[in-house]
Amino acid sequence: MKLAAVLLVLAVLPLLGPPAYYLYLFSTAYQFATLATAWSLLAYGGQVSFGQAAFFGLGAYGAALASLHGASLWLTISLGAALAGAGGAAVGLAAGRLNGAALALATLATAELLRGVALNWTALTGGGSGLVGIPSIPSLPGIPLELGGRRVGAYHLSLATLAAALTISAVVLRSRAGLALAALREGETRGALLGLRPVPWKVLAFALSGVATGLAGAVYAHTLGAVEPDVVFGRVFSIAPLVMATLGGRSLLGPAAAAVALYLVSELVFHPLAPALHQLPYALALIAVTLIRPAWRRIP
Amino acid sequence: MSLTTLLQALVSGALVGCLYALIAAGFSLVLSVSRGLNLAHGELVVLGGYAGYAAWLLLGVHPLLLLPLAALATLPLGLVWDRLTARLAPPVELWSCVLTFGLSLLLQSAMTGFWSGEYRLLASPALGHGVALGGVALSHARLAAALVALAAVGALALGLRRARWGRAIRATSLDRDAASLLGIDVERATRLAFVLAFGLAGGAGLLFATIHYLYPAAGSELTLLAITLAIWAGIGRMRALLFGGVALGVVEALTVAVAGTGWREPALALLLLASLLARGGALAREFGRRS
Amino acid sequence: MTLLEARGISVAYGGLVALGGVDFAIEERQVIALLGPNGSGKTTLFDVLSGLRRPAAGDVWLRGERVTGFLPWQLARRGVGRTFQIPEPFGALSVRDNVLVGVTFQARRPRTRAERLHEVERLLTIVGLADRAGDAAATLSLGERKRLELALALSGRPALLLLDELTSGLSPKGREEVVRFYARLRAHGLTIVAVEHSFAVLAEVADRVLVLDRGTLVADGPPAAVLDSPTLRTAYMGEEE
Repeated sequence: MKLAAVLLVLAVLPLLGPPAYYLYLFSTAYQFATLATAWSLLAYGGQVSFGQAAFFGLGAYGAALASLHGASLWLTISLGAALAGAGGAAVGLAAGRLNGAALALATLATAELLRGVALNWTALTGGGSGLVGIPSIPSLPGIPLELGGRRVGAYHLSLATLAAALTISAVVLRSRAGLALAALREGETRGALLGLRPVPWKVLAFALSGVATGLAGAVYAHTLGAVEPDVVFGRVFSIAPLVMATLGGRSLLGPAAAAVALYLVSELVFHPLAPALHQLPYALALIAVTLIRPAWRRIP
Repeated sequence: MSLTTLLQALVSGALVGCLYALIAAGFSLVLSVSRGLNLAHGELVVLGGYAGYAAWLLLGVHPLLLLPLAALATLPLGLVWDRLTARLAPPVELWSCVLTFGLSLLLQSAMTGFWSGEYRLLASPALGHGVALGGVALSHARLAAALVALAAVGALALGLRRARWGRAIRATSLDRDAASLLGIDVERATRLAFVLAFGLAGGAGLLFATIHYLYPAAGSELTLLAITLAIWAGIGRMRALLFGGVALGVVEALTVAVAGTGWREPALALLLLASLLARGGALAREFGRRS
Repeated sequence: MTLLEARGISVAYGGLVALGGVDFAIEERQVIALLGPNGSGKTTLFDVLSGLRRPAAGDVWLRGERVTGFLPWQLARRGVGRTFQIPEPFGALSVRDNVLVGVTFQARRPRTRAERLHEVERLLTIVGLADRAGDAAATLSLGERKRLELALALSGRPALLLLDELTSGLSPKGREEVVRFYARLRAHGLTIVAVEHSFAVLAEVADRVLVLDRGTLVADGPPAAVLDSPTLRTAYMGEEE
């Protein structure tokens, strides 16, 4: 399939020997692409989330805490993702009673709540200074260290995370869950009158979105080596996927592609121009998304 | 916790709660006429605070005299928000969240650019003293803020009930189409509501700056607070907002007394979350009622 | 056998009483016409029977089981199907996917995907929308949407069908088709409660007529008796001077 070919190409890119900075750049871009895909899955079901940072942070802290207790890389990532998935399920339960703006606000409040807890529960999370000393990601066996140094492992793991998110999305969209989510989006009441229970499907959507987002968060923790509350629970991880997925459109790859493109542009073009105003492009994009109404803007 | 600490928390919390009610009143006013949730409301308050602070540095007069200036700093933005909100596609409640989220980031970026992230306090000697009543310290700044806020909320409530512009706003918020059919210029009423709300926010910002540190990101918790109060008080009910504000102020003060200042923001977030779960459905019905 | 029983159903919107103490019982395989002027509470009654609204007072029993306050999906899975006066299909989904939703999430769904799609085709053929299966529901005309509404209501294999003004807005030919539908549905073992404004249609198909006036049931009997009665005239035209 087209998707597999693209991923394969991206996977072998590091062998061309680009500078480590570019590997890092693309790793981060893949992480945003994962976030965008995860957000898009929720939007497919009519759930607009303003708080994906909650799952990102849960994934990051989950992985960080596990690694500081000596867990292996696979275990830390799995635990981080599982924690984020559990958080997602909890939000999904809450989503059963809320819709539209109320749900969006609830997700926002959840992210803020978790950020505050992480800032203050110093015994567990290290408080404002966060957790440091998280081991970095080793490269795949067989890849010589001259190629990109320690960044190659993170590059491949980020790519794998994106592949996982895309796979989850693809499987869900083609399954009974996809039909349920589409029906929920188009008419929750009508669906209920046809025997479609909203809550289980919302829980599933949020749990899966949480897992995918948490995977990215876990990889991020290992890439940076440290987690801080204001960073991993920061608003940028809630805003960026919303903007990127909305601009990316309805297709499976659209949000991911848009995310990579937007991230690269913001890092390579905007950031060097005005580093202090790094939030500005996101702010303008959010405003633009609501005022310009292209046909493909799909959120109900 | 000693009795004195408890009383202190109750009184200080109640006083700042009046200010919270004023902040929520503006938010609620905009919500009721436009069905739009202004997630940038907190930033507008902070902007008014910065404007008032700058004016105070420049002019050095009693801060309360600077209230009109602070209000004027944010008032024109009401017109901008009104125009932008009018262009939103339905459902307005949802899209206004996205739009104003972006606007709040924009304002934050602008304020960071102008004033940097340093904390500032409008520590005017005119309001620097306080009174002690039975072991409880009441700063003049808090007393003044509470009194001005009460007066403003009271005036707003009176205006909405008695004045022609107030009745026009209320009619527009109850049923826009019916109000229009009755000959009310609903667009003008909406514009007035925005301008009024934003002016009140600016003034509240100045009061806020006299009792609380100003920094660009200080707005987010104020927004959370305003939304929480609006959920409980219902749309546009001033007296309920006042009671809610005082209650919220007290809860916040008690939280700080028990757990420390760091837990303020998460406590507010939790309150909002709980409020949404408890009353989210009721709010949605109120929106649906007035299509 | 009594399929549905309602006792003392009361619903109020704020100060306005929409339904005040409505009692009736429905036997299986009956076609019951629900009449009443606008605002008499017909749609509210349907909302209560389909789970969209919880009555302030009163109870509903479905096959002897007390279902008061049950959620819409719970009633749907117990065999209650409903159409809306203004059709509300899943706009962005294809006609086929619309019906597939109903077929997939009902209580006793066909096990394989092939069987489910076959069921969808069958329903689309019954309502005459087979040729529009791939089109988005939002592109359908009003008449086609009404047919889709019917297919949706049938997709859950209901025992009780609540039809809200199926013929309103349709041409006379469309109405004739609907009359034929009523007869066929009853022949298939369905129980139908239909809100209709066309007395001609009702006289042909109904076994029984219920009349609501301002939230109260004012008449309940065979069509011949009710359709000629002064009670009906009063309900629609107001009190005689």
